[in-house]
Amino acid sequence: MATMHNSYPAEYFRVVHPLDDEPEQKCASEGLGPIVMTPAVRYSLIALRGYLILMGGILVYHVLGMVGFVR
Amino acid sequence: MQTANAQVREVKAPSSAGVRVRTRWQRSLLTFLMVFGPGLIVMEADNDAGAVSTYVQAGAQYGLHLLWILLLLLPITYFVQEMVARLGIATGKGHAAMIYERFGKWWGRFSLADLLIVNFLTLVTEFAAISLALGAVGVRPQISVPAAAAGLVLMVVTGSYLRWERTVIFLCLLDLTWFALAAMAHPHWGAVAYNSVVPNLPPGPLTGSLVFLIIAIIGTTIAPWQLFFQQSCVAEKRLRFSDLKWARLDTLIGAAFTVLVAGAMMIVGESGLRRGIVFADPAQMARALVPFAGVWMRNGVLLLMVNAAVLGTTAISLASAWAYGEVRGWPHSLHKKLWEAPGFYTVYTGCVAAAAGVVLIPRMPLQLVIVSVQVLAGLMLPSAIIFLQLLLNDRALLGDQWVNRRWNNWINWTIIAVLFALSLLLAAQVMLPNLFS
Repeated sequence: MATMHNSYPAEYFRVVHPLDDEPEQKCASEGLGPIVMTPAVRYSLIALRGYLILMGGILVYHVLGMVGFVR
Repeated sequence: MQTANAQVREVKAPSSAGVRVRTRWQRSLLTFLMVFGPGLIVMEADNDAGAVSTYVQAGAQYGLHLLWILLLLLPITYFVQEMVARLGIATGKGHAAMIYERFGKWWGRFSLADLLIVNFLTLVTEFAAISLALGAVGVRPQISVPAAAAGLVLMVVTGSYLRWERTVIFLCLLDLTWFALAAMAHPHWGAVAYNSVVPNLPPGPLTGSLVFLIIAIIGTTIAPWQLFFQQSCVAEKRLRFSDLKWARLDTLIGAAFTVLVAGAMMIVGESGLRRGIVFADPAQMARALVPFAGVWMRNGVLLLMVNAAVLGTTAISLASAWAYGEVRGWPHSLHKKLWEAPGFYTVYTGCVAAAAGVVLIPRMPLQLVIVSVQVLAGLMLPSAIIFLQLLLNDRALLGDQWVNRRWNNWINWTIIAVLFALSLLLAAQVMLPNLFS
């Protein structure tokens, strides 16, 4: 009885670890310059800057109070 | 902007690169396992020493009543960290580098300085926890703290990201022990299920300590360093565009695991409440539980406290070192040997050594450090997420494919608004302790 052979190689998948793989092109910011912001976003960030400086100052004052440097 | 997908290719010729598998199912599983790591680590490392203290305290003071908050936090942490993973995969760069490049030097330096200060103060609390936990089993701080610091430095100086990642994943999985401890605490499982899904508050008035604890639970579940850490980690691992779905699954699994572990911590704390144990920290509770739950419970809680602190320390120190290296333009990679990235390893070692040194200073006002960490992290988190949100809407950088969808933006602005309100409340609560009295 003749044996049937499949002459095509079996299909398989090759899984490559990210660290062993070829590098791929990423989204690059070179040449784009600063992010484009609407005036609303720009003013919000300025307000955020003020808020963070103010809160940071209050925190420093509070910590100095806790260690007894200020009343 | 998506480019060649080099991750998984159907091939019909033998190749030495990668692993060959026969079925699509095997391909998916193997790819996931290769991508798995950053999402779990960033989430579980956030269950650090401060988190153990907060969750156990929540259970000990209010029983199981606050469990539902954890379930609510699961989608919030996932949505925030998914954006980080997406940005990291799309740009191949860390968060600090992106802020610096897209928002200019002022915001870049401000974010970096803020991150380094908060991270350093947090590291001090981690080493304080190591000192406390090992002190409870008789190890003096002069031995436990330097030994832990040396171990933490050795973890990263091997010149292999994968070695570090596998070690840290093992430490994350040690947290499964919390489930065994929760089971040993014999909680009322019906009450656990009910309080996990039905929002409710403990009986009695809304006190300042309850408000503070609720804010602390939320604050400890999402921390600013996580944004910087995961994006740098994803870039370090060189995840590809096609890995995004697996990175999302990794992040989701990490978020779910972290919330479940946090719930187990609360259940362990609640066992102290049922037995009328009064304690100031988890180490005290662990010792007091010995007559009821045995010496295993004590040792388990103490070792898990140390594990939590070690996890938190390595992740937070790396977040600082990566961020600093990105902004300074130094080589900053765990793939590099010590002499190939001296600045990066110096920052990591410096963070660990300085925090360990501060803990060894006699009569150090640790309570002051803890309060400062809570307030600074609370103040920084919403602004850090704003930058993340703006970067994820940067079409010039990311193109249409990777920017946030409209529904993404709605969810994220809601999260930012809630976090802003809570950060203001936290700051007010810490600076005016009698606000809710």
